[in-house]
Amino acid sequence: MASEMVLYWGSGSPPCWRVQVVLEEKKLQGYKSKLLSFEKGEHKSAEVLALNPRGQLPTFKDGTTVINESLGICLYLENKFKTKGTQLICDDPKECAAVYQKILESNNIMQRIGDIMQYSRRVPESERTEAGLQRLMEALSEELKFWEGYVQKMGAGSHIAVKNFTMADAVIFPIIAVLFRFGVSQGKYPNLAKYYNSVKSRPSIQATWPPHWKENPDAVMDMLKNV
Amino acid sequence: MANNIMLYWGSGSPPCWRVQVVLEEKRLQGYQNKLLSFDKGEHKSPEVLAINPRGQVPTFKHGDIILNESIGICLYLEDLFKSEGVQLMPDDPREKAIILQRSLESNNIFQKIGDIACYNEMVPENERSEAGLQRLKDALSLELKLWEGYAAKMGTESYVAGKNFTMADAVIFPLVALVFRFGASQTKYPYLAAYYNLVKNRPSIQATWPPHWKENPNKGDMLKNV
Repeated sequence: MASEMVLYWGSGSPPCWRVQVVLEEKKLQGYKSKLLSFEKGEHKSAEVLALNPRGQLPTFKDGTTVINESLGICLYLENKFKTKGTQLICDDPKECAAVYQKILESNNIMQRIGDIMQYSRRVPESERTEAGLQRLMEALSEELKFWEGYVQKMGAGSHIAVKNFTMADAVIFPIIAVLFRFGVSQGKYPNLAKYYNSVKSRPSIQATWPPHWKENPDAVMDMLKNV
Repeated sequence: MANNIMLYWGSGSPPCWRVQVVLEEKRLQGYQNKLLSFDKGEHKSPEVLAINPRGQVPTFKHGDIILNESIGICLYLEDLFKSEGVQLMPDDPREKAIILQRSLESNNIFQKIGDIACYNEMVPENERSEAGLQRLKDALSLELKLWEGYAAKMGTESYVAGKNFTMADAVIFPLVALVFRFGASQTKYPYLAAYYNLVKNRPSIQATWPPHWKENPNKGDMLKNV
């Protein structure tokens, strides 16, 4: 079962972290875990490229089945192990729709973060501008306004899609955690902050907290401090 | 059943088209629908914003259930109407895996087309450059090469995930159709072209072919050198 699974992952990467949370929630902790270093370019190693031509993480195998899209892995695991551990997609159609909505909508935040983080890689130096980067920061701010609103509407004690913890939280909590790690202000987004502080103690979240964040909990990361 | 489904959609939009294909395949053709004009900004109308604060299409309601993410809608419809019409998600986990992989991976194509199509909208005039736009076209070329490789590996008589039409085809065919509509060369991408020609005559695809493409069969040239 779990022992036939292999997960290649990078520390602090939300798409990887969400898969790890789902594996914990589904009681599949026995998987082979391969932590790779982005800095050393290990995600572009021959071993990864053989499974994932994009050289990206997460890269995942279950026996001979390979899946390299994080939401795909999450949905696959929930489907295959529906009755094991926590039920992460609800049976009720309305709740199910709410979970699907949120997990797919979360791609908007990932895109906006990626645009900022990848700015100097994607745009040659001669074409980079303060204004260009500022536009990307504003786009992320606009995006976070939606999510701040969603959490506010859900109310205290609720998770991101429905009352209980679901796949939507496995997918989205890591993104929120990254935002705050990189300096987004909890004061500016009090509802997201409440959500973050309430979910961070969940066992599956604690068990999969990015190792390099644990090593360096007080690192001053302020790339997103003005978002 | 179908008549308490409402779909707001735009002609030629792959995320909308894929939902329409799934509705056809699940025999839910009686759904209510409203065709909106992007040019007239109807996707940003109060009627749409009341259901979808992002003002995007597809915007979808089933009774009082709202879902505005196209792949979410596809998954939801397949779950709820599993035994109706064509089974778009097989039971076997291995087959499911490839369908989920390709369906979610297809977002890479959609993003890269969008970056090019929306270049002038997203980048202020003083920051635009030929080099900038070319970089985006090169990125799409690389992306299409990958999918050409996937199609080549599956063979010319194959659907995205294998022998049968599945959700992956509902999701991906509209993207491939869009790429060729915008002028990409079928000779440069022969396996994608074979896939396109294999699937385009499927009844659900024909029934949902973008109306303005039927009115104006002329292809654009935005992607002719991609």
